[in-house]
Amino acid sequence: MSIRIYSFFLLIALLVGWEVICRLLGISALVIPTPTAVLEALWSTLESGYLWPHIWITTAEMVLGLALGCGIGFVCGIILGETEFLRRLLYPYIIASQVVPKLALGPLFIVWFGFGMTSTVVITALICFFPLLENTLTGIHHIDPQKRELFRMLRASRMQTLFRLKIPSGLPVIMAGVRVAVVLALVGAVVGEFIGGREGLGAAIIAAQGMMDSTLMFALFIVITFLGMIFYQAAIWSERWLLRRHIKGKTQ
Amino acid sequence: MSFLTVNEASYCYQGNEAVVDRVQWSIAQGEFHCLVGRSGCGKTTLLKIAAGLLQPTSGSIFIDDTQVVEPSDQVGFVFQAPTLLEWLPVTDNVLLPISLKRRVTAKDYTRAAELLELVGLGSFTKRHPQELSGGQQSRVAIARALIREPAFLMLDEPFAALDAITRAELQDDLLRLCEHQKTTVLFVTHDIAEAAYLGDFVTVMSQGELQQAIPIDLAKPRAPEIRYDSTFNALCLKIRKTMDGTA
Repeated sequence: MSIRIYSFFLLIALLVGWEVICRLLGISALVIPTPTAVLEALWSTLESGYLWPHIWITTAEMVLGLALGCGIGFVCGIILGETEFLRRLLYPYIIASQVVPKLALGPLFIVWFGFGMTSTVVITALICFFPLLENTLTGIHHIDPQKRELFRMLRASRMQTLFRLKIPSGLPVIMAGVRVAVVLALVGAVVGEFIGGREGLGAAIIAAQGMMDSTLMFALFIVITFLGMIFYQAAIWSERWLLRRHIKGKTQ
Repeated sequence: MSFLTVNEASYCYQGNEAVVDRVQWSIAQGEFHCLVGRSGCGKTTLLKIAAGLLQPTSGSIFIDDTQVVEPSDQVGFVFQAPTLLEWLPVTDNVLLPISLKRRVTAKDYTRAAELLELVGLGSFTKRHPQELSGGQQSRVAIARALIREPAFLMLDEPFAALDAITRAELQDDLLRLCEHQKTTVLFVTHDIAEAAYLGDFVTVMSQGELQQAIPIDLAKPRAPEIRYDSTFNALCLKIRKTMDGTA
């Protein structure tokens, strides 16, 4: 517990140090704004209602992108995991596509889907797709051979083996993929908005840059970080909830 | 009248030398057979063939006059490790063989509770496998194998990872349960004393072939003290000599 207090004091000390250095050296607000100015900008934009639509748009893009990307990634992971032929056929391509920088496809998506939310959702979904595909594939593939034999001995059907052995036993690995996807989704949504967004926190950063308003950009970083933390925490909670039966009895 | 018949069964792993080499074997109903041998002598492979988990390269297996070509419902199998599903509580683990076949009824729950009581886990039904000790997990695995009241129970070194005292307790429990259900048992182990204590017959396997079955004429039910008896030790020595080929 006490270490947390120290962590908190460290934050305060850093902020105070930042403020003092900015003021003493007279650094221009365009380069590095003081923390108080950033908080002030954050407060006034929240109060005036300027930030809220951007926050909602980015949140909606993240949620949609995550749901689509994770959903499709999970289903594809299961299909590939269950059909040896498809897996062997497609695996080289999956590995190759991992290396493609998905964000670099952004401009292409704008051509396809136009400016706005759709492009960003597609980029986010694409980024979330791979960790889920990879982890689902790994999760349902690395099953204790004795458990497989047990299900064979009990003459379980293929579907029963999938739903009652492979998915539950791969769930911890699959959920680790979700956690990775959540972090990537935020990057995907914000950078997607850099490229093709009119609204959203990424677009707001670009707008602030256009006005040379570094203070607002810092305020937006704080909002984005906060949003990421909320999503990450939600992922951890849902993971804990889904794995509540797996964790039972493990040493805490 | 033979219950399990192994007829000239051989098994080779992809073109290698036969691990199980033209084995001829029969087990009568209600008998407790132990199969002992060194690691890698093919005993686990033979057991899996008998259970229908592996298909023999040549030869055939019959249980109760029907040929075994796939795992049979008449056989309960206990693996080397307890292989419990860690996300299910103990009761659901025991009921797994039933819940994979049909809806679980109140009667099944009663039966599972009775079995768990019999293996000494009456108060652990709601626990999860990882909250149990190794010995308790093995007990759950045995209860799971017995839930469908199989005529035949096959065990693959189920107690190998347990300490000596827990193992002795589980051996007594297993004997009691099998006596109670009149189960025919095929028990694979590398532990000579375990084989002699449990079995009505001990068969030695070496290099893929079966040696003569050694009948164990000790009083049943077994009294734990006989483990320290001279006749028991003489039997163990006899088995050991058969294993070494110096009998």
